[in-house]
Amino acid sequence: MPAAASITTTVLPRLSFADLIYNVEIMTGRDYLGEFEHIVILALLRLEDRAYGVTVRQEIELRTRREVSIGAVYATLERLETKGYVRSHRGEPTPERGGRSKRFFRITAKGVTALSRTQHALRSMSEGLGLAWRYS
Amino acid sequence: MTPHLNLPPRGAAWLISLFASEEETHSILGDLSEEFSRLASQSGSAFARRWYWRQTLKSLPHIVFSAFQVAPWSTGLAVVAGFLLRRLLAHLPDFATFALIDRFQIHEHHFGLYLFLASTALDIEHILIFLLVGCFVALLARKREMAPAILLALFYVALSLVGSTVGAIRTGEYAYLLRLSWYFTDALSIVLGALFVRTLRRPATGQPLHG
Repeated sequence: MPAAASITTTVLPRLSFADLIYNVEIMTGRDYLGEFEHIVILALLRLEDRAYGVTVRQEIELRTRREVSIGAVYATLERLETKGYVRSHRGEPTPERGGRSKRFFRITAKGVTALSRTQHALRSMSEGLGLAWRYS
Repeated sequence: MTPHLNLPPRGAAWLISLFASEEETHSILGDLSEEFSRLASQSGSAFARRWYWRQTLKSLPHIVFSAFQVAPWSTGLAVVAGFLLRRLLAHLPDFATFALIDRFQIHEHHFGLYLFLASTALDIEHILIFLLVGCFVALLARKREMAPAILLALFYVALSLVGSTVGAIRTGEYAYLLRLSWYFTDALSIVLGALFVRTLRRPATGQPLHG
C-alpha cells in the first residue's frame, strides 16, 4: 500500500501516545470518508502547513477541474473537525483579508486512519476490474 | 472607477454573516476578501464582484445545512421545541379573541369589528405566535440561529401545502388553496423571528472578530 504508507510515515511521527491508542481503537470502527471529505483531506495533506480556506478551495479546483464554493469547503472542514479528523488554528490578521485572520487546518491521527481505511476500501473494490482499460 | 466597486459586495457579505456562525463568518469573509482582491486586480472589479456573488449563493445552502451535520442534536432539539411551543400556543389567539368578543358582546354591538377580529385579526395573531416561535428557536439554537428556523419554516410550508391540497381535493372547495398565502406568511414569520434574535445577538456586519 504505497499511498497509505507514505501518508502514515508523513504524519505519524507527530502523533502522541494517546493518538496512537485511539488509532488502534478506531481500527475496529467503520468510519469512512465521503467523496468530498476524501478530496478535502487529500488537499490538506498536499498543502501541509499552507492549508486554509483559499488554498484548499484552489487546490481542489485545480486538480478536480470543478468549481467549488468556499461554503462547501468550510461545511466539510467543520464536519471533519467535529469528527476529530482535522484540527484548526488561527494565523495573524492580514490587510488583504479585511483584517481577518486565516484559519489553518491540519489532519489528525484519527483523520489519517479514516483516510487509510477509505483508500483501502476503494482499492479493494476496484481491484481486478481493469477500470483504466475498460473505460479509457 | 468608483471606490466602493473595489470593495466586496456588502449584500453578499451580509448574507454570509447572517447564516454562518461567528467563527465561520470570520474565516469565510476573510477568504472571500482575499480572493476578491486578487481577482479585482487581475480581471477587474466587475468580474470579481460577480465571482463573489456566485460564491456566496453557492455557499449558502452548505452553510445553512452544515448546522445539522455539525450540531445535529442541538439543531434538532431547537426544531422540535419550536414545533411543540407552536402546538402549545396554537389555540391561544382563538381563545383570547373569542373571550374578548363574548365579554364585550362585540358581535351584537359592532358587527364590523367582530368580522375583523374573527378573521384578519386572528390571522395576525397567528403570525405573532409564529414570530415568537422563531425567536424561541433561535434562542435555543445559540450560534446557528437561522438553520433550525429555516427547517421548521420549511416543515410548515410542506405541511400546509399537503393539508391544503388534500382538503381542496376531498371537499372540492378550492378556497382552501387561497389560505396558502397566510400559511406561507406564518412560515416566513418563523424565519423573521429568528432573524430578529440573530441581529440582536450580533449585528450581521461581517466585521473582524474582536479579542
